[in-house]
Amino acid sequence: MSYLKLILKNPFRNKTRGLLAIVGIAIGIMVIVALGMVTGGLKASTTSTLKAGAAEVSVMQTGAGNYGSGRINESRVTDLLNISGVKETAGMLRATNTSTSGSSTTDVSGTSAETGTASTGSSPGSFAGFSVTGMDPDKLSLAGIENIDGALYSNESANEVIIGKTASTNLDKSVGDTINLFGRDFTITGVYETGSFITDAGAFMSLSTLQNLTNNDNQVSNIAVKIDENANATQVGKAIETEYPNELSTTTAASMASRMNSALNTIDTANWAISLLAIIIGGVGVVNTMVMSVFERTREIGVLKAVGWKEKRILGMILGESVVLTLIAAVIGTVLAVIGVVIILSVYFGGTIEPSFAPDIFIRAFIVAFVVGIIGGLYPAYRASQLSPTEALRYE
Amino acid sequence: MNNGVNGDENMDNEENIIEIRNLKKSYDHGKIKALNGLNLDVKKGEFLSIMGPSGSGKSTLLNMIGALDVADEGTIQVAGIDLTKNKKLDEFRSKEIGFVFQMHNLIPNLTVLENVEIPMYETKLSTSQMRERALELLKSVNLEDRKDQIPTKLSGGERQRVAIARALVNHPSIILADEPTGSLDSKTGDKILKLLRNLHSKENVTLVMVTHEPYVGKMADRIVNVLDGKIQN
Repeated sequence: MSYLKLILKNPFRNKTRGLLAIVGIAIGIMVIVALGMVTGGLKASTTSTLKAGAAEVSVMQTGAGNYGSGRINESRVTDLLNISGVKETAGMLRATNTSTSGSSTTDVSGTSAETGTASTGSSPGSFAGFSVTGMDPDKLSLAGIENIDGALYSNESANEVIIGKTASTNLDKSVGDTINLFGRDFTITGVYETGSFITDAGAFMSLSTLQNLTNNDNQVSNIAVKIDENANATQVGKAIETEYPNELSTTTAASMASRMNSALNTIDTANWAISLLAIIIGGVGVVNTMVMSVFERTREIGVLKAVGWKEKRILGMILGESVVLTLIAAVIGTVLAVIGVVIILSVYFGGTIEPSFAPDIFIRAFIVAFVVGIIGGLYPAYRASQLSPTEALRYE
Repeated sequence: MNNGVNGDENMDNEENIIEIRNLKKSYDHGKIKALNGLNLDVKKGEFLSIMGPSGSGKSTLLNMIGALDVADEGTIQVAGIDLTKNKKLDEFRSKEIGFVFQMHNLIPNLTVLENVEIPMYETKLSTSQMRERALELLKSVNLEDRKDQIPTKLSGGERQRVAIARALVNHPSIILADEPTGSLDSKTGDKILKLLRNLHSKENVTLVMVTHEPYVGKMADRIVNVLDGKIQN
């Protein structure tokens, strides 16, 4: 039997104790991996909102609370073109589908992005909360929509819509299907993907159609502004606010993303703090397990010394056993985290957030587990290696 | 019976494998004098019994020979190595000494075969060579068919035979047996003693055995008595 096999065999001599130690560390590792996967997914989503081609500045009504809740006169869409640095503008109307009844043939079944209730069969109204944006189809690139599987909706037609990839998956709808929005049936002409979890969970249709449906004639909720190549987004935003004081407010895509990223960085810091806590708690558990194990095997360690084992071989064996425990815990914790995150994100968040499977998340978890194993095993291993052979052999 | 300094007339090899001069060892800050200026010579290939009452220092002496403990004073030379000066005592134990304890001291979660392999981890043998050597020893103690059992499934005598195989596995020059039959019934004990005796002559290994039972001691080529940390004449 090899030395390695011996090390692998020893941690399970006392199965209950070994398992308890593993459970303790696995919980810590699970939290580290799960948080990493979720924050990683959110980060990827925010960076993809900063795509080339998309609008750099977003204009809304001053004082409007929610994104899309304010109203701006549509004439401002062309007015803003006069401001220096503005290259292109697009009026957008954001509305939330309030339809509570679907037509008998086109019931929307699936999950809503907000409630996440998975409904099978016909269940009209399960669809409320679905975000719909009205926009000129030629200007969709300003909303970050570049690639469409299928065709665009036409500006004239009142019955065409494109939906995001997440929405398509959740609603189980694809090109050619019919969808009921605001009490009217629409044909899905295309499916888009931007990478932003918010955008991909919604739908886009012609601005005038949505204005009609929601009684918002000549009104938009936002104006997407694309700036000249040499212009500065912050300055353009300021210029707009100066031109229309108390009417228009602006925010730049970069600042939005950076705000979101700083929030995510806070979560990241928390993740590190949790990792540290997991190291300490898990480490104490490992020390306890290994000290008990060495204590019970005092005589046996005496025998190993008597047959000529060197101190460093005994040290290595105990350290190895400790690392075996924590690495098994890392595997279990990682598997549980992946399963848990995938299920929670798809069931409770309707797949709007894609979990990240970046290798560094898993590498970090295994490094944490390894470090816990080494730190936790160090003291018991040292104690075992320093035992006096005669005293160890006398031990009852 | 003599104190061993001049050897035994039956010995055909006159070389001393153990030379102990004025060995002193005390415990508990000098309160307990376990060895009190002990002198002993053991010839290579000899079977020596160390006898004496409890607390006489016979086990301490055995531990000194096996380099499990270090002396306070005096010199002890075993297999040509001065144990009072040598720092690599683990290496010495691995190469020169095989221990047989009163309690077999087998590792409970390892199979019989794996237990016999344990001393070979400090050698340069490959896993397959270790296995081969362990099987060879198990064959010589008639336990080849029990190689995959764990020790708790074995009888006391079988366990002690595994311990003997383990002691011999690294080709030691000396076997140190501390009351090897102490935890066995007399019939099993006799078998173990015969096995030890046979292996001692077959493997040409020096055998030093501590016992307090006279009939066990008589199996040896020579008996020395220890009392108050000294060899009695």
